[in-house]
Amino acid sequence: MEDSREITTLQAATILISTIIGVGILPLPLFAVRAGDTGAPLVTLLGIGIAAIGLFIITKLGMRHPQKTIIAYSEEILGKWWGKICSLIVIIFFAFLTGFASREFGAVVITAILGETPLEIVVIVMLLLAAVSVRNNINTFAYIHNFYVPIILAPALIIVVFSLQNGNMIYLQPLTGNNFNEMFSGTLMIASLFQGSFIMTLIIPAMKHPKKAMKASMWAILISGGLYLLIVVATVSVFGTEEIKQLFWPTLELARTTFLPGNILQRLDVVFLSVWVTAVFTTLFSSYYFTAFSIKQFFQLQDHKMLAYFILPFVFILAMLPLNIFQLYQFIENVGKVGLTITILYPLLLLIIDFMKGKRRRGKSGYKQP
Amino acid sequence: MGTNSRKVKLTFLFFLLVPLLTGCWDSREIEERAVVLAMGIDKAPNEEEEEGEIAHLKGKFPTPKEGMIKLSAQIAVPGRIPLGPQTGGGGNGEQKSVVVIHVVGHTIEDAMLNLQQEVADELFLGHLRIIVLSEEMAKNGTQRFNDYLKRNPQIRRTASFVVSKEKASKYMDASPELEPVPALYLAAMVENLVMLGKFPHSFIGLFWSILSSKGQDGYLPYLDIKEDGTIQISGLAYFRGDKMVGKTKPLEIGAYMAAIGEKTGGYGTFVEVPNTDEVVVVQPIKRRTKIKASLQNGKPHIFVKIYYESDIEEKENPDITVKTAEDIRRIEKETEKSVDQAVSELISKTQKTRSDIFGYGEHFRAKFPDYWNKNVREKENWEAIYENLSFDVKVKVNIRRAGMKAK
Repeated sequence: MEDSREITTLQAATILISTIIGVGILPLPLFAVRAGDTGAPLVTLLGIGIAAIGLFIITKLGMRHPQKTIIAYSEEILGKWWGKICSLIVIIFFAFLTGFASREFGAVVITAILGETPLEIVVIVMLLLAAVSVRNNINTFAYIHNFYVPIILAPALIIVVFSLQNGNMIYLQPLTGNNFNEMFSGTLMIASLFQGSFIMTLIIPAMKHPKKAMKASMWAILISGGLYLLIVVATVSVFGTEEIKQLFWPTLELARTTFLPGNILQRLDVVFLSVWVTAVFTTLFSSYYFTAFSIKQFFQLQDHKMLAYFILPFVFILAMLPLNIFQLYQFIENVGKVGLTITILYPLLLLIIDFMKGKRRRGKSGYKQP
Repeated sequence: MGTNSRKVKLTFLFFLLVPLLTGCWDSREIEERAVVLAMGIDKAPNEEEEEGEIAHLKGKFPTPKEGMIKLSAQIAVPGRIPLGPQTGGGGNGEQKSVVVIHVVGHTIEDAMLNLQQEVADELFLGHLRIIVLSEEMAKNGTQRFNDYLKRNPQIRRTASFVVSKEKASKYMDASPELEPVPALYLAAMVENLVMLGKFPHSFIGLFWSILSSKGQDGYLPYLDIKEDGTIQISGLAYFRGDKMVGKTKPLEIGAYMAAIGEKTGGYGTFVEVPNTDEVVVVQPIKRRTKIKASLQNGKPHIFVKIYYESDIEEKENPDITVKTAEDIRRIEKETEKSVDQAVSELISKTQKTRSDIFGYGEHFRAKFPDYWNKNVREKENWEAIYENLSFDVKVKVNIRRAGMKAK
């Protein structure tokens, strides 16, 4: 992989967008409203802000080490053993993320459309699909993401635009929420929906121009964050905060309530769900890819293809851990919050240490020169 | 060697594909589905008697306090739903396209289980277009039905929800002649009336949202059957919380739509021409409403300003002259007065039952969060405040056209 640096800036941005937009889009308004009531858009905005800071740190770190992924340079920065331990935690975390995303996907599909299909089948089909795709190299990975982004973005935007027609702007006011503490924890929850952006650490070493990585990151967070914000605004204005609190997947309900004028489609959930399956696939694909690829680097193997199938049963078992849908969301919430330390605080720590080391190095060389 | 492993792979692939031939778990042929098109909910006539021991054994569980319901379901007969306009002779005119089945139960789910016991095919609610609730049930509260309807993923949030004067089961049996499928006629009626400006937007999802929000109470179309068997919208049923507390006259729906600011106007009204005993019909075309919430000495006050664009549709007597801008101005003034009166009366009427169907409470929640958090917070508190809410209505009517006639 190190010899083929073919990913363009645009591709990097699209990978991030389609990775971020995933299964979390369905309960997103619920998380936001629970935390901030009518301040939901504000909570979302703050969440996006935190996610942007996280992505900024990751990208900055990656640009300082344009040849390596986080698994490699963490050893360099922290020393071999500490690096290894931290990398192991990151890998396990991403395995969890993959598992829970596939489980959440399964839960929605079983509840909303395929009532009689066993959950295991839905989950395993999705994971298999991801596993097969993961066997490709990173350039194919980039192409697949690039290809799906318009298909994900366009229908989502259409649904938002048409649903805003029966929105009631009064439901969005007052713009600030009530409880600061709850708002803060909700903000973290929203930020954790953006964790997929950690994949950037893996893309930078494959980019044609690693210097432009920051541009890709910021555009990606702007577009995906913008879509998230629009969805929150649309659902809150259509349903009002109190009704959203009663719904598991407000975004899905939004699609069910919205119709295209002229009786073309009386409910848009069919369109939405098919798009959403694609969005979930790209997200799973990324986190799965990250897990497999990082394990390869961790053990310094030649190839990650064999690993794709090897980790499948483990991810599947993780997916089957929650006993019911309520426990599932408890797990997702907890894993999401722990994840923030992994995807934001840990890179921040690395960046600070790296920065200090770099300064010392430069200081030393400066001392030697005269 | 190379071709050999290729062959092995192909055989392997072949066997992998075999399970796909069995189809999906969830595949149901359309004729194996009992498609429920409409539902009517009534109070069960004589309690407990009709029910078989299907969902529960008698006396084995705490019976819900509310009485039993009678559920009438209109189920489509496969193959008899005509697609598109019917052509040719009415050869199959005798065959009914739907069957109506009546069951009883303690809750909707209970009744549905009983219903399934009587129907060979699996019940399917994905095409449920309209739910009719009898006035009696609406007055007892809708909350007990909402849970099932919200939880079930097949139910559309855009289905219509209406209150009926007569028993809801009558609406299931009614066979309007304009449309071969009765349920579709009923549903189309509600939808089209909204489009014609005869009724504000109304579907079950909207009703739920309003019911959940704290500064607002719900409303539903109120239907009745006339003597000759046709169905008409005869008012707007308004709610306090989940219970129906009253209904308006049909014309008051127009006043309601003005007060909340629905765009399309639909109710033409008689307006007395000043200085005469004669009247003209003024038809509103468009309206725009501004609602301003304010606190006056710490007390909530609502200011409603309504702008109308209207046409003159008919004048009753040839003696009236509607010729000059001056005449029009006078008629406008008179219209303003009558709309003002109608809206004010409607607000006072709903204040008596403490049901804020206009959603004015939401304006206070939105604009004065401090006041809201301190004094209101819960729906019941707002309803109490609404009862004594002071308001001002101001109407501005512009009559732009008078049709093809110059005089």
